[in-house]
Amino acid sequence: MLLNRPVVFLYVILAVSVGYFISALSLGAPISESGLTPSFFPILVGGAAIFFCSILIVQKLRAGPEAIQADAQRNYTHFWVVVAIFFYIVAFKPIGYFISSGVFVFALIVLVSSFEKLLQKAVISAVIVVIAYVMFQELFGVRLPTLWG
Amino acid sequence: MDFILLVLNSFTLLLDPFNLTYVILGFVIGTVFAAIPGLTATLAMALLLPVTYALNVETALMASASIYMAGMTGGSITAITINIPGAPSSMMTALDGYPMQQQGKGARALGHAALGSMIGGAVGALLLIAVAPFVAEVSLLVKTTGKFSLLAFAIIVVVIAQRGHIAQAGLAACIGLMLATVGLDAMEPITRFTYGFSNLTAGIDLMPVIIGTFAIAEVLVQAVSSNDIRAATAAAGKVRISRREFLPPLSDIRKIGFGCYIKSCLIGYFVGTLPGAGGSMGSFLAYTEAVRTSSEPETFGKGNPKGIAASESANNAVCGGAMVPMLTFGIPGDPITAIMLGVLIINGIQPGPQLMTDQAALIAPMLATLLFSAAVLIPLTLYLLGPYFIRIVSVRKDVLYAVIALLAVVGSYVATYSTFQMFVALGMGILAFYLRRNGFPVITMLLGYILGPNLEEFLRRSLALSNGDPTTFFTNPDSLFFVLLTLVFIYFLVIRKPSRRAEAAPGL
Repeated sequence: MLLNRPVVFLYVILAVSVGYFISALSLGAPISESGLTPSFFPILVGGAAIFFCSILIVQKLRAGPEAIQADAQRNYTHFWVVVAIFFYIVAFKPIGYFISSGVFVFALIVLVSSFEKLLQKAVISAVIVVIAYVMFQELFGVRLPTLWG
Repeated sequence: MDFILLVLNSFTLLLDPFNLTYVILGFVIGTVFAAIPGLTATLAMALLLPVTYALNVETALMASASIYMAGMTGGSITAITINIPGAPSSMMTALDGYPMQQQGKGARALGHAALGSMIGGAVGALLLIAVAPFVAEVSLLVKTTGKFSLLAFAIIVVVIAQRGHIAQAGLAACIGLMLATVGLDAMEPITRFTYGFSNLTAGIDLMPVIIGTFAIAEVLVQAVSSNDIRAATAAAGKVRISRREFLPPLSDIRKIGFGCYIKSCLIGYFVGTLPGAGGSMGSFLAYTEAVRTSSEPETFGKGNPKGIAASESANNAVCGGAMVPMLTFGIPGDPITAIMLGVLIINGIQPGPQLMTDQAALIAPMLATLLFSAAVLIPLTLYLLGPYFIRIVSVRKDVLYAVIALLAVVGSYVATYSTFQMFVALGMGILAFYLRRNGFPVITMLLGYILGPNLEEFLRRSLALSNGDPTTFFTNPDSLFFVLLTLVFIYFLVIRKPSRRAEAAPGL
């Protein structure tokens, strides 16, 4: 009950809020002779975040396990999408737009659909990447990284 | 009067093929995104935000205005034909639209929706054109203390408007405010919360925040829920629409009544001026008012065109209303106006009281486009593309989301040619995804992020001017006005119970 998924999310937010609050305190005294200092507002915001987070955690814990939405069919596609985006960003500059984007789009299509008709999906990916390149580079004048410079 | 003439002159800009192409393209993209369940016009705007670097400001704002208007209209297509509102603002339209579809009057229901949207959008735009210059003049009277109270009012209203979820909304606003404090302090040469990342010295850039919050988060949300579009695609295949049937009969329009259209427009417009209210609340209030004043309330929810007219007139009138605080005070009324604000900021234009006077020439074409989109593009699009509208939802989901993800990630690279911004967009996407998944309103976070810097600056300046005396917020008339307004909203939204009439609306 103390570690169901919505509460874990709130614990994470609480930890971040506490970290933010401590960082804000380390900026110095909130009020000086000349008025409010750069730490005043963050201390206020951090304090409010901890307050709201605590309320929500107490509400969730009081609600009990029956009130927490059951996630019978867990779907982790979003996790793999995040992984795909992460590696796409890492590879974007070193290997250039075309290869990284081609693999990325293909991976996403396969992730969201199924591991079938791979040739068709590869062709679709290539077409999407070329159209997006033309749109960004030629139409809007954006320089995209390529292997040739 | 000068501003109205300027808006009228701006219609000539629409004759420019380049501008017109972007306006029409924006309208079609907005309609398509609003029609597909799971996609929104906000997402379309977020994806197109990087494009604004390549356009001049007028064209970018004109395209944004047409996307906005289309976004409010497009959601009614799937709401009526397959009972799945493409956009939240069309939820009330589905209540009477879908029963009409079941009775074989789907095309007529779409016609009523388009007529209501056309009237609502046009009235909202006209009111905006007429009212905004006066509000801008009044806004010049608001001084530093009043500006702080106004921004605090906006954030508080957005938070308390989330009835039953106030703590979530409060926390979301705090997260936005935290993000806003990252980087160099506005008044002293001190960096905050950068943790050694020099890329954060200038703060977290608006573009990756918007792209992450709306585009990447949407891809993640859709990755875990695969039912909506499959159901919609299956249902869409069965719907047949004929172009001839779009025109609503005069007898229906008479029955709905001019008063219903105008009242709904006014409700939508004024709801739009409230921060965070948006099209959903506008259409809900107009619908409940139509039910309340109807002589046959029992027919609502069973295919009464008046329900469609009220809902669609109101949600399109919201467009005009939401732009009033955005243009005059720099406070966005909803996610789309928040992105429009981003277009202005990205182009180095500071929204606020001076905008309407100093940059009127930039703003006027956008308002002209809003009116043009409502009065011309809504009926024209329905007539030309109406029979094909419903096939929009049949697009392949895997391809669609791969395209969105590609445009979002590459789009976040465009601003600074730095992969750091791409990582920021990914981080914001993950944050927004988990916030949405846990019932947090992300618009509140975005509003906190956008208004945060000014909120802090005006707070510190106000107290510096008053030698640290906090009573300055109650002794300055402009500030006192917003403090009292905040209390009024707290009374109506938090203390007072919701009206029984509102609860009695069908389907709610």
